[in-house]
Amino acid sequence: MDKKQVSISIDGKTIKAKEGSNLLQVARDNGINIPGLCYHKKLSPTGACRLCVCKIDGMPGLTMSCTVAVKDGMKVIAFDEEIENNRKHTLDYLLAEHNEEFDGAYRDEMKELVEHYGLDKPENRQFSPIWESLNYPKDDSSPVLSYDATKCIKCFRCIKACEEVQGKNILSFAERGITKYIVAGFGIWSESECDGCGECVQLCPTGAIVEKPHREEIKIEKPDKKVITSCPYCGVGCQIELHVQDGRIMRSTGVEGVSPNDGRLCVKGRFGLDFVHSPERLTTPLIKKNGVFEEATWEEALQLIAEKFTGIKDKYGSKALAGYSSAKVSNEDNYIFQKFIRLAFENNNVDYCTRLCHASTVTAMLKSIGDGAGSNSIEDFETTDCLFVTGNNIIETHPITATYVKRGYQRGQKIIVVDPRWTPLVKYATVWLQPRLGTDVAILNGLMHIIIRENWIDKEFIEKRVDGGMQAFETLKELVANYSPEETERITTVPASKLFEAAKIYANAPTAMIATGMGMSQATVGTNNVFSLLNMCFITGQIGRERCGINPPRGQNNVQGATDVGASPVNYPGYIPVGNDENRRRMAKLWNVDYEKLDPKPGLSTVEIMQAVHHGDVKALYIMGENPVVTDPNQNHTIEALENIDFLVVQDIFHTETTKYAHVILPASSFAEKNGTVVNSDRRVLRLRKAVELPGLAREDWRIILDIATHMGVNLGEYSVSEEIFKEIAEAVPIMHGISYERIEKHGIQWPCPEKDHPGTPTLFLEKFNTPNGKAKLFPVEHIEQKERASAEFPLIMNSGRLLFQYHSATMSRKNDTLNAFANESYVLINPEDADRYDIKEGEMVHIESARGSLKTKARIVDEVAPGELFMPWHFSEAPVNALTRDELDPMSKIAPFKYSAVNINKVL
Amino acid sequence: MIAEKRISLARIEKINADSIDDSLKAGAYNGLKKALTMNPEEMIEKFEKSGLRGRGGAGFPTGLKQKFTRSSCLDCEKYIICNADEGEPGTFKDRVIMERDPHMLIEGMIIAAYVIGASRGFIYIRGEYQRSIEVLQKAIEDSNKNGFLGENVLGSGFNFNLELRLGAGSYLCGEELTLLESLEGKRGYPRIKPPFPAQKGLWESPTLINNVETFSHLPAILNEGLDWYTSLGTEESKGTKIFTITGRVQKPGFYEMEMGCTLRELLFDIAGGMKDGYEFKGALLGGAAGTFVDESFLDIPLAYETLKARGATLGSGAILVLDQETDMPSLLHNLMDFFKHESCGKCVPCRVGTTMLTEMAAKLKNEPELIHKMTKEAHYMAETSLCPLGQSPILPLKSYREYYS
Ligand SMILES: Cc1cc2nc3c(=O)[nH]c(=O)nc-3n(C[C@H](O)[C@H](O)[C@H](O)COP(=O)(O)O)c2cc1C
Ligand code: SF4
Ligand code: SF4
Ligand code: SF4
Ligand code: FES
Repeated sequence: MDKKQVSISIDGKTIKAKEGSNLLQVARDNGINIPGLCYHKKLSPTGACRLCVCKIDGMPGLTMSCTVAVKDGMKVIAFDEEIENNRKHTLDYLLAEHNEEFDGAYRDEMKELVEHYGLDKPENRQFSPIWESLNYPKDDSSPVLSYDATKCIKCFRCIKACEEVQGKNILSFAERGITKYIVAGFGIWSESECDGCGECVQLCPTGAIVEKPHREEIKIEKPDKKVITSCPYCGVGCQIELHVQDGRIMRSTGVEGVSPNDGRLCVKGRFGLDFVHSPERLTTPLIKKNGVFEEATWEEALQLIAEKFTGIKDKYGSKALAGYSSAKVSNEDNYIFQKFIRLAFENNNVDYCTRLCHASTVTAMLKSIGDGAGSNSIEDFETTDCLFVTGNNIIETHPITATYVKRGYQRGQKIIVVDPRWTPLVKYATVWLQPRLGTDVAILNGLMHIIIRENWIDKEFIEKRVDGGMQAFETLKELVANYSPEETERITTVPASKLFEAAKIYANAPTAMIATGMGMSQATVGTNNVFSLLNMCFITGQIGRERCGINPPRGQNNVQGATDVGASPVNYPGYIPVGNDENRRRMAKLWNVDYEKLDPKPGLSTVEIMQAVHHGDVKALYIMGENPVVTDPNQNHTIEALENIDFLVVQDIFHTETTKYAHVILPASSFAEKNGTVVNSDRRVLRLRKAVELPGLAREDWRIILDIATHMGVNLGEYSVSEEIFKEIAEAVPIMHGISYERIEKHGIQWPCPEKDHPGTPTLFLEKFNTPNGKAKLFPVEHIEQKERASAEFPLIMNSGRLLFQYHSATMSRKNDTLNAFANESYVLINPEDADRYDIKEGEMVHIESARGSLKTKARIVDEVAPGELFMPWHFSEAPVNALTRDELDPMSKIAPFKYSAVNINKVL
Repeated sequence: MIAEKRISLARIEKINADSIDDSLKAGAYNGLKKALTMNPEEMIEKFEKSGLRGRGGAGFPTGLKQKFTRSSCLDCEKYIICNADEGEPGTFKDRVIMERDPHMLIEGMIIAAYVIGASRGFIYIRGEYQRSIEVLQKAIEDSNKNGFLGENVLGSGFNFNLELRLGAGSYLCGEELTLLESLEGKRGYPRIKPPFPAQKGLWESPTLINNVETFSHLPAILNEGLDWYTSLGTEESKGTKIFTITGRVQKPGFYEMEMGCTLRELLFDIAGGMKDGYEFKGALLGGAAGTFVDESFLDIPLAYETLKARGATLGSGAILVLDQETDMPSLLHNLMDFFKHESCGKCVPCRVGTTMLTEMAAKLKNEPELIHKMTKEAHYMAETSLCPLGQSPILPLKSYREYYS
């Protein structure tokens, strides 16, 4: 309910405000700058610093404005002599217990006030320092921050930042009174559960908690360039402000008041950007001569590439060429890349790693609801009544989305976790269902069985919004009839009572959202998994309304955008199928080329491209910003393929496991060196802005692609800046039609945004689904046992996944000492029972082998995994999980089963 | 000659505290039985008219507090809490009641719960009070067994459960808003006021908080009637009050007196006068958060209004008697050190102020004029601090300046 608008007066000025809003905030919003150090608009009021004093008619004495709720007719005095003297007195007190030594490494809100009140001049002070005698401690143990109690004003902001904003609750005060100080966990920061998000740093008003990296170099008083851009790591799309000094990124802070993160960051976005200036950056084109890479000029490299690409095309036909685009580069880069493939290679052999993450999710979603993107806004993760999280370690992989979840939890949100492995979200879960690996369809059918039996279905929704209505429902009902709770328990091992509880909560919640992850999608039945999930969504009517729907949070920063702008073998930019004549004509017109030039046949997908390379059908491959040797399944197969390829170009910012096999390596740009846009998980088109210069001879990705085209004699168009490319994207992509750089200068816009005055779309499918007839389609599916099974030779099943502190194949993240300090070592999780059985001790090296390959890693014995199952993070190339996986594909989406490999384990003797 | 007048301590010498039968024989729970036949609004009116004021220190009218809590919401969950943290230095009256007549307190709480419509109550008791805890524990059990507590109290349809909770061991936890935080399992920092407990107290529900002694007056008011109660005391201070006397008097200890008796009567008639060789010089009334008085107070009635008129307080009823040998600066230093030690450190004026006051107090002997600076700082603290603790040092300081410097 909207609060009533009321009128108050502050220092004689009449101000309109919402009834009950915070007086201090209202004053500040209206330009009346009442001081105050313990208040922060993201936090609950504390009333500790006593600087925000004011007088209110009808209240005796002085009142703290940060603790007052606005009421109609309230008369406030915020500034008069008595009040100002009182504030000065309080500041003087604070100075007495405060070490003012300025280490230049922070913005000091307190110092600003001290200067304002003239207390920087010792003669204006009344009290002499007492802090020196108080024996305040320091804690320098965290890899990313340090705490100095002599500078702490005990304002509670860090405590509340950690608890209320990030949902972690790690900080508290030790001792009482004047000697108290902040402690993390039981007293040592590095031994606490702190994961280095730095929210406390961001909200500390003095220099008590500061960033550790670059402390020695940073000079705050120097004119300092600040650039707002999007975090290069995951698909949350956090908005960061980069502080640049001498051409280097010194610090990154979250941008307050802007979605999706409202100032919050995780450890990667705040402390993981040193890779930009890593000495290992590629700075010059390299050409392999006699097996060794030699530095080359751009002209040499471009000529060689053009010659080879053209030669292979002439000799073997256009089908012999293919390209990997990238989820780590901008929309503009991806758009130009796919245009290059379609016009210079003259085929549709363009894909990227989305095929390895969410292709099955997207396939299923496109078929049943017509859109592969998330239905909701990230903010909705806080306000929905029920969250169903399946196969998604959201706290580690989408930490900022997870902050909304944790805040929802604090408000009483019901959380259902479906995961074979313990994840940190289980701590917040109302119910945790722990099915056996590979039994997702069965568990979902089992849940639907209960929902139908108990009549928790939404008949009206089914009749109105599901294709075929109740008739279609009957087919599903018949199919799930076989999945009684007992049968489901037999297949999945999840107790019937828990199934019942989960079904009841989800089906009956006023609003419910689903977050699905790679645990669901990366399977040979990935598409079916998501179909089942959607079926459950439809029969309960938990989609098509606000705070309801299904969301596949995206792994990399631009997974969503790359597909949106056409890095796809089957679609032109904007999800327009390539096979259709009319579409081809439209594209040809836009690109100003003959329509025959556009290949009507869908191209090869990521894993198919690699298989074709292995076969010798594809002879030349152009890889931009991807590392298939680590990311593709069945590593030995990938390596064999690349060893035998005729010509491989890899464009990247670092040497990777894949560049080894390249014939030419091209030095490209990191996120910090380019202008452009990305699209995050909630379909928000966000800006990337150039903050620092390119290292050495490195170039922006789209410029490199254009140069190659020019050298091949192909004209992809004239562009001088990225904005011109975006204008063309907006023309080509109907759902982004109304978006321009100008419109997203401050806040991103969520597509679909078809018109210039359209505000964007926070929730999808409110009126209709994006299918031809506007209705959702049920796809009843049966549980199928995995082809790969545990056997005598390979008795255990290996699962894989990600960690908070590393990212993807770790090309970027592992170039940061800070992140490495948290996690830089591969390991395998094994259940204590299995550890016993195979005589493995904690920390021992083990050898793990599948039918495809093997690796060595360290054992960690925990009951986070069920007996019979193992788990490994896949970031570490020295223990590449994909040596174990297989490239058997989901027939519908071509995704590979990264999370299900039969293996054996032995200790290394 | 004046004598003690006992209401909350009326039974202590007649019963074995561990025996509910003893207590019943001496009239325990008769007030409750009466209460259950009356309607709550009527009773609140009675308590308002009785003039009973909170005995925890602040002297807030008890009936009014009950009324606020009751009318805060009609059907919602409400709580009742007995503040038995008794942390004020020199105060030990609550302990006497709890150890020697626990049913007096329990009965008072049940009556109050019935009056405001609470079904759950807590006694937040100072953790060091081992004996009180044991006695109360047993008394609550017995009271339950006898149908005074639990479901359907004495067949009236009224349910009331009472639990003991141990205090977190700091003076500040006796402050009612901090007490609420502590009861909710949080750190002992004061809450921001408003809301008051009567509006939003424990777990956001309306909550009535009273001192042990305050509750213990309720049965008598019902049993003996308004006329009887209001005939005791002065115009604005009705009934009796327990004083706890320390210092060099002949018979230090606790005495329950009709309000309005004088300090002279209390010290010389009741407590036997000063020890030989010692001369009365004055007193500290009300503990650390109290006020110093001198000889000129000897004939002033000990009542809220008369003391207030002279800038003094009754506080919790603690009286520290001063004599010619009392080292006043070091006494003041102790008081300041106590505040410093008990300051939770949440707000700046109190956290830094108590430290500075302690430093200055340490120098007071040689630099007596520091008292002026101290009073000035304490005045600023009183205006600006978050909770009553930081607002308290002004009380002893101002009166010290007036009478001892
Ligand atoms: C620092 C501080 C400590 C207090 N300690 C106690 C205490 O130990 N016992 C008590 O009954 N009241 C104490 N009070 C007073 C309570 O806040 C509250 O006023 C009282 O419990 C109300 O009960 P009453 O109305 O029956 O007096 C304290 C107040 C302050 C500011
Ligand atoms: S860095 Fe983040 S997790 Fe660590 S203490 Fe600060 S707010 Fe909490
Ligand atoms: S460390 Fe900073 S934010 Fe935390 S209490 Fe101290 S001054 Fe406040
Ligand atoms: S006045 Fe003292 S005890 Fe009260 S909140 Fe402030 S620091 Fe804590
Ligand atoms: S801002 Fe209000 S007390 Fe600190």
